[in-house]
Parts: sequence; C-alpha cells; structure tokens
Amino acid sequence: MAEQVPEVNTPARPAQHEKYPWPAPADATVLGKPLTRVDGPLKVSGRAIYAYDVQRPGLLHGRILRSPHPHARVVSVDIAAAQKAPGVKAALVVIQPGKPAMYQGDEIAAVAAETEEQAEDAVRLIKVEYEVLPHVALEDLAMRDGAPSVFEGGNIKSGEAQETGDLAAGFKAAAHTVEASYSTQVQTHVCLETHGCVCEWDGDKLTAWVSTQAVHGTREGFAEALQIPQTNVRVICEYMGGGFGSKFGPDSQGVVCARLSKQAAAPVKLMLDRKEEHLVSGNRPSSASKIKAGVAADGTLTAFDAETWGTGGAGVGASFPLPYIYVFPNRRRQHRDVYTNAGPARAFRAPGHPQGCFHTEMLMDELADRVRMDPVEFRIKNLPDEAPNRMWRKYFPIAAEKFGWSRRHPTGDPSSGPIKRGMGCAANQWGGGGRGTKAHVEVLPDGGVLVRCGTQDIGTGTRTIVAMVAAETLGLSYDAIKVEVGDSQFPFSGGSGGSTTAAAVTPAIRVTAGKALDALKERIAPKLGVPPAQLVARNGRIEVKDQASKGYAWKDACRLLGTEPVTVDAEWENGLSASGTSGVQFAEVEVDVETGVAKVSRIVCVQDCGLILDPMTAESQVYGGIVMGVNYALYEERILDRNTGQMVNPNMEWYHIAGMSDVPKIEVTLMNQPERGVIGLGEPPTISTAAAVANAVANAIGVRVRHLPLTPDRILNALAAQERAGGTL
Amino acid sequence: MLSAAVSHSGIGVRPGGVRRRYRFFFSRFGGPMSLHDDDHDAGRSAVDEGINVSRRMFLKSVGVTGVAAGVLGAEAEPHAAGPAAVGPGPVPVTLRVNGKTETLQVEPRVTLLDALRDRLNHTGLKRVCDRGSCGACTAIVDGRTIYSCSTLAIELQGKDVRTIEGLTEGTVLHPVQQAFVKHDGTMCGFCTPGFVMSAAALLERYPKPTVEQAREALDGNICRCGTYTKVLQAVLDTGKGVSRG
Repeated sequence: MAEQVPEVNTPARPAQHEKYPWPAPADATVLGKPLTRVDGPLKVSGRAIYAYDVQRPGLLHGRILRSPHPHARVVSVDIAAAQKAPGVKAALVVIQPGKPAMYQGDEIAAVAAETEEQAEDAVRLIKVEYEVLPHVALEDLAMRDGAPSVFEGGNIKSGEAQETGDLAAGFKAAAHTVEASYSTQVQTHVCLETHGCVCEWDGDKLTAWVSTQAVHGTREGFAEALQIPQTNVRVICEYMGGGFGSKFGPDSQGVVCARLSKQAAAPVKLMLDRKEEHLVSGNRPSSASKIKAGVAADGTLTAFDAETWGTGGAGVGASFPLPYIYVFPNRRRQHRDVYTNAGPARAFRAPGHPQGCFHTEMLMDELADRVRMDPVEFRIKNLPDEAPNRMWRKYFPIAAEKFGWSRRHPTGDPSSGPIKRGMGCAANQWGGGGRGTKAHVEVLPDGGVLVRCGTQDIGTGTRTIVAMVAAETLGLSYDAIKVEVGDSQFPFSGGSGGSTTAAAVTPAIRVTAGKALDALKERIAPKLGVPPAQLVARNGRIEVKDQASKGYAWKDACRLLGTEPVTVDAEWENGLSASGTSGVQFAEVEVDVETGVAKVSRIVCVQDCGLILDPMTAESQVYGGIVMGVNYALYEERILDRNTGQMVNPNMEWYHIAGMSDVPKIEVTLMNQPERGVIGLGEPPTISTAAAVANAVANAIGVRVRHLPLTPDRILNALAAQERAGGTL
Repeated sequence: MLSAAVSHSGIGVRPGGVRRRYRFFFSRFGGPMSLHDDDHDAGRSAVDEGINVSRRMFLKSVGVTGVAAGVLGAEAEPHAAGPAAVGPGPVPVTLRVNGKTETLQVEPRVTLLDALRDRLNHTGLKRVCDRGSCGACTAIVDGRTIYSCSTLAIELQGKDVRTIEGLTEGTVLHPVQQAFVKHDGTMCGFCTPGFVMSAAALLERYPKPTVEQAREALDGNICRCGTYTKVLQAVLDTGKGVSRG
C-alpha cells in the first residue's frame, strides 16, 4: 500500500516539531518503555468483539453463491426456489445475466436466512445456467500463443522497459556473468477472521460492522456502491482479525450484505468461509524473472538485464521492484503483467518487496560465489551510500556479529549425514510515513481523558501507542487514557496500510493532546497565580515548572474545570514523523536431503523504524513479519489445477502455514532513531526473510532452489538434477 | 486405531508443525509417521495422546462404519439407546457449558462451535478454518482439547464443555491469560482464545511443561500474525508459577 501514500517527510530530515516535539528518550516517562497492549485482557479472554462476533436482534445470515467455473458466461440465474426455502428472508442476483464470471468464486447470487444452515441450503436451490468458456489459470498457459483470452486485447500487458546507464558497456566490464531464472508463488492473505460484515439499516441509514483496515475508506465504498450519501453510513471496526493489505473497502460481499439487509428489513451477517477467503479476497501475485547480471573481478556490480512477469489474476498487475536495493550502474528491466482466470491480487504486506528482494538477493549470492567473495562483504561493497533510511552498511556487520556469520561454511554443508545446515542473509527497505489524521481529545472534570481517532487497530497495537502518546503528553500513565478508535464517526484517519498508521496517527495525538494540555493550563494557571507557560504536566500532576510543590494532582486540577471539559480537535502536523526504513536479516536452516524437508532454525534481524514508541508491540510486529516470511519461503502456495483452473488447497490443511514447531528462534534488534520521529514497522520485517532462508538453503545443500516455496519436492528435484549433472553449484 | 482414538477422547486432534504438515503424506505412503505410531509415542504429551485422527475423517467414519458408530454409542451415554434417527429438523440438545446447563433447539448437523456462537452468544471461540486445522475454536471437553468446529453439538450431551468464557473468573484472568498479556502473546487476537484454551488444558495436565510439551500442545493452533514466540514464553512463564490475582 506504500504506493498509495506519498512520502511526506524527507527521510533524512530530523523530526523537529516547534511546539510539541517528542521528548528526548532520557526524558520520556512512557514512550520507549515496553508496555503491554491496552486491549490485551479483552483479547485473551475472548471478550473483544470482532465483526464476526456481532450479534443483533433478529440477525439473519447471508451466503453467496459463487461460480464453480474459472471462466463462464452466466446465461440465466433463477432464485425463485431459494426465495421460497425455509427461513429465507432475502435473495438477489449479483451478476448480470450475459456477463462472464472471470474466476472460480466470482459472485453469482446471494440469500439471507434465519440460520446459517438455512442460508447454505437455500443457495443450493439457485439455478444457474452457465456457458462454460475456455480459461487459463496459470501464467505459462496464458502466455502461450493462441491461449484463450482472459480479457479482450490479450493476456499480456507489457510495461515500458526501464533502462539506466549503458548496458553493453556494463557487460563488457564484467569479469563474470550469471544468467538465472527465479520465481515466487501466489500467496493468499489467510486472514484468520475472514472478510465480511454485519449490516443493519435504520430507515435510509446504514450501520456496518466491518472487518476492515479502513473505517473511513469503507464508509466511502459503501456510499458509492449503494448510491447513498456518506453521511448515511457508519462503519465500525472495534477489533479485526487480520487484514495484511486485503481489507480496505466493503468489497462485493459487503455491498451484497447491505442489499440483503435492506431487502429483508433486518440485520444481516455475511462472513466469507475459508474457501471463499482463499479464492476471492486477494493474494500476493506471482513473480518470475530471467536475469542476466555482470560483476567485475573486484566484486563491483556492473550490469543487470531482466525480463520479468507475474500474474495478479483477472485484471490486476503483478509488478515488483527490481533490482532491489543494490547498485547496478547499468541496468534494464522489462515487465509484463499476465492476466489469468484466477482471483485478483490485492495489496499484501509490503506489496512487491518480498518478490523483488528474493530475485535480487538470490542473484547477489550467485554473483558473490562467482567472484569468491563473502556474501556480506559483497553486499556491503554494492550498497548505496549510507543515509538515515539506508543503514545497511551499519546493520549488516552488527547482524553478522550477533548471528555468528563467521561460522558459515562455503556453499554446501560438508558434514556427513542427511541434515545439512546453511546460512544466508538479505536486506529490506520500506517507506512508512503518513499524514492526514485528525483527533479529538477531551479532558473531563473528573480527571478522565478521552482520545478519539477514526483510525483502527488491526492488531499492530495502535490503541496502545495512542494511549502512550497521550499519556506522555499529559504526564499521566497510559492506563489513565481512554482510547476510542475504529468508528467512521470519529475524526478522519486514513487506512492502515503501507506501515503508515503510526506515523499518521501519533503526531495527530501528540499535537491534539498538547493543545488540550495548553487549554487546561490556561484554566488552571489563574488559580496558581502563574502564567500558563510556567506550568508542566508530569507524574500525574500539574505543577509550576521549578516549584514542584506548587501545583495540583491531575484529578484536583481537572476538578477546577467545573462542569465544562477541555475539548480539542486538531490534526497531524509536520515535524514528528519521517519515512524510510532499513533492515537486514540472517537465516540459519537445516535441510534433510533425504526427505527434502527444510526447517528454519534461527533468524537474526536488525531493523529500524524511526522513533520506537512501544518496544514490546514493535518487537511483536517484527516477530510476526519474520514468521510470515518463513511461511512464504517454505510453506504457502495457492495451487491451481492447470486443467480445471480450480484451487486444490482452499483450506488450512493443505494451504500450509507455520505452526509452533515450525517457528525458528528469532532474535530481534530494533535500532532506535528518535531524531527521525515516527515512521512505521508493519511491513519491513516480512520482506527479507524468504530471501535469507532461500540463500541459507542453497548454502546448506550446495544447490540453488530458485523457486519459492522451498517445498520438499523442489528441494529433492534440485538435488537430483545436481546429481545428474554430476556437478556442484 | 480409530476406536482407540474415540474411546480416549471423543473427537480431537492436536498434531502440528512439520509432523502435522506431512502426516497424511507419510501415513498414506507408508512412511514413518503413521497415525497409529503417533498414538503410542511415549514421547508425546498426553494432551496429544490417542487423539490423532482428523475430525473430518472421524465424522466421515462415524457415518459409514458400524464399528466407529458403536464405539461412539458406548461413549456417549445420553443416546446409548441405539441408532434412533433424529432430525433433520431442530431437536432439543442439552449442553453443559462452563458448568451451566443450556437446552437449545438445533439441527443435528449443527457443530458445537456454531451452537456456542450463534445460539448461546459465546463468541470467544472463533470460526477460522472450519475443518479442524487451525485450533481457533478449541474448547475443552472432559479435560481434553477438541476442535469445536468439527464436533457436533448433539454428540456432547452429558459432557462437560468448557470455553474461553469460563476461564476468566469474573474480571480476574486465568494465570495463563495474564501471561499472554504480559508477554504480548496476542496481536490481532483472533487466534488467541484458541491458543489460551490449548495452553490452559496443557497446564492442567502438566503444571510445569517442558518446552517440548508446550510446543506439542500448541501445535494444533495456527496464528497468522506470528505470535508464536511470545505465546510459548507466556505458557512456559505460567508453568513457573504466576498466581492468579
């Protein structure tokens, strides 16, 4: 989602807000302390209410009938029998007859009934006549001459070739060249809470409890799709069970839910089931490359020439940044998006970056091998100059030291026995930054502090850092702050994507809480007979700056407000946030060359994110990103049958995700950059894990598996091919 | 093998990790990890013992094999009377949930999870995979963890069903819940109640679990945010004795 948010602070500029700067780390009483999340008790006790859990009086259950065909023209849809089925209160046709269903799972019709079981029974009674059309589910089939067209105009959309420098001269300067092909799979988001919502109408006003990363964006989406004013829509998302980039609007199922609810004149809950979630709610597109690259004898990169492609399914692009991070002075890259009859891609945690990182970092190790350089040394030689948002030159040696990189053997574990161990590394970069958030702060006469902001906590800990920033500003402890987020009736904030939430929200809280304190001081100062500027808020007191005994406990100070609270609305200001992060990861793996099973035993990570607000939740983000990267490296893959176009693993049994025993030992070092202000952290840590793991697997088994995920069949095939060739890497 | 599994536990499975991942592969192709072998692996935690049958597989087997159905009848006393058909319409089902007796009218096909969530408004346990793969719906029945998404409500009459709602005493969190908060063993929180239930069941059996026991017990739960490291810390920390309060 970074693409949606322009970089709003130059990365290098230190954050320096004139009136409400962040406190120096030594002076901070709340920020920078590892504090538990404020909604932890609700989550661990099952009392946090997600959209999936919302109960309303007379609630109906919605269900969508979906196309079983990857490509078919819908001739007719007959919902008459479904309408008469037991318990059914509403039914509608979603697709216009005559239009094509573009992928398995495309919406056809929907019903709402009194129970989920009745709704399921009723959709089975819907009669659909399909004219089955030729389909292409995989990119290699779609790219063939004469392949059936997904859309008019063909299946391939070529981008402009990007070229810099003099490619021919670059290859001339190369002592060695590497030519290789790499590819990555389609990964689905697998949000544990599936997409969906509860919709309820009161006359022409809609209230929707939605599992979303953007309450305001979803309000806009509902209004637009239903042709009603935004003022008539309220979107609520108190808690949500994971989005990872796939939950930014009402989506088709949300609009269907609202229409069913309107028709039935009753609230309707419509949550996707696990199969639907895999098929239609987004994915990370595949990527593939053919790369030729050159390196000079001294290890300097000279040239990079790549053709790349990938599929985002029916109508979505599959671009990714390439080459990633390292400086190839002469380079060319030609990308093609390939359309297929498969569920469309959506933004997925650091869109494009894990792909670009994998292709580039694999290539880097191959080039380092050619010039017989240590991969870390080779990387450092070819990194861009150091800057606050480009700290790899510093981080690589720190991480290598912590990791014990000096113990790395050259390619191929020479030890006997079937278990081979190896090490690899990779770097990441991300934008972060954010803006455009408004907030509301009230200081009440009983001492209570209410902070309202129309952002949402998608599990990253936004509620917690909002409480911390307000507490720091007001000299209180963070549990004294009541935080309300996740409602489109609260002051505007953007979607939680692109690792922008922290940088968009916390400056707004800092400024608004700062202004609220100023207003409170104005009203307290006369009672103390000092100018407001001489008052400070600290340790739960409002007191005179150099005369701590002169002042009031917070509650007593607030009591002086009488009946009228302090109420301030303000917004994000420049000078408290920045953009641009960098990090590196090192992986150690164990590969059983007899079974082909690879296991990640250890990850060492050095990562920055600007000013660290809550080291505890920040660390959790990094752990989580790394686990997701391990999944991408070893386990996850949307598998479509090349003949039928059907997904063969639309569940959580065969679509593999790491469990407790698969998770490596993870060591996180967060580099604090307080002078830069808040940046954001959700995405960077997931970028470079898969590349580091893949490099470690190559280092372990002495043969390079250039395609993700590194499943036992791919590893055994690579070993067998090497054996047949009688050679090594 | 199946009958042994049933007599131990009703319905349940807590395999995980690589072992879980390739279980079917190995068992189908005669490899080293047959279901049977796992059942009698002395090294495995008791939480795991004897319950290594996928719930779907079990449900299917109940439908098609007399042996399994007979075993179930002997296990589930309330309807040991025989194979009298009930349904398909709603029938009265009496459940004891967190010590409280509840009688509902549900179709026999309704799972325990759906009965809890849609009929009793116990929404703490979540529906995620809905087929016994992820553990978000984990409940404790007669002391053992089960996947409530793949267990029919009607089969649990006369049994003692515990859910996440029963773990907290008023406003006081269970020690393992406190440890989850302390170690940040939750992010989006959607998998958390299931993990907490698995952890609570483990700790009732093994108050001081080893790392291996803890991993094994939690291997039937999936977290997408990646809280595993901190969940493990929380469970081991509880084992070191954090008091309720």
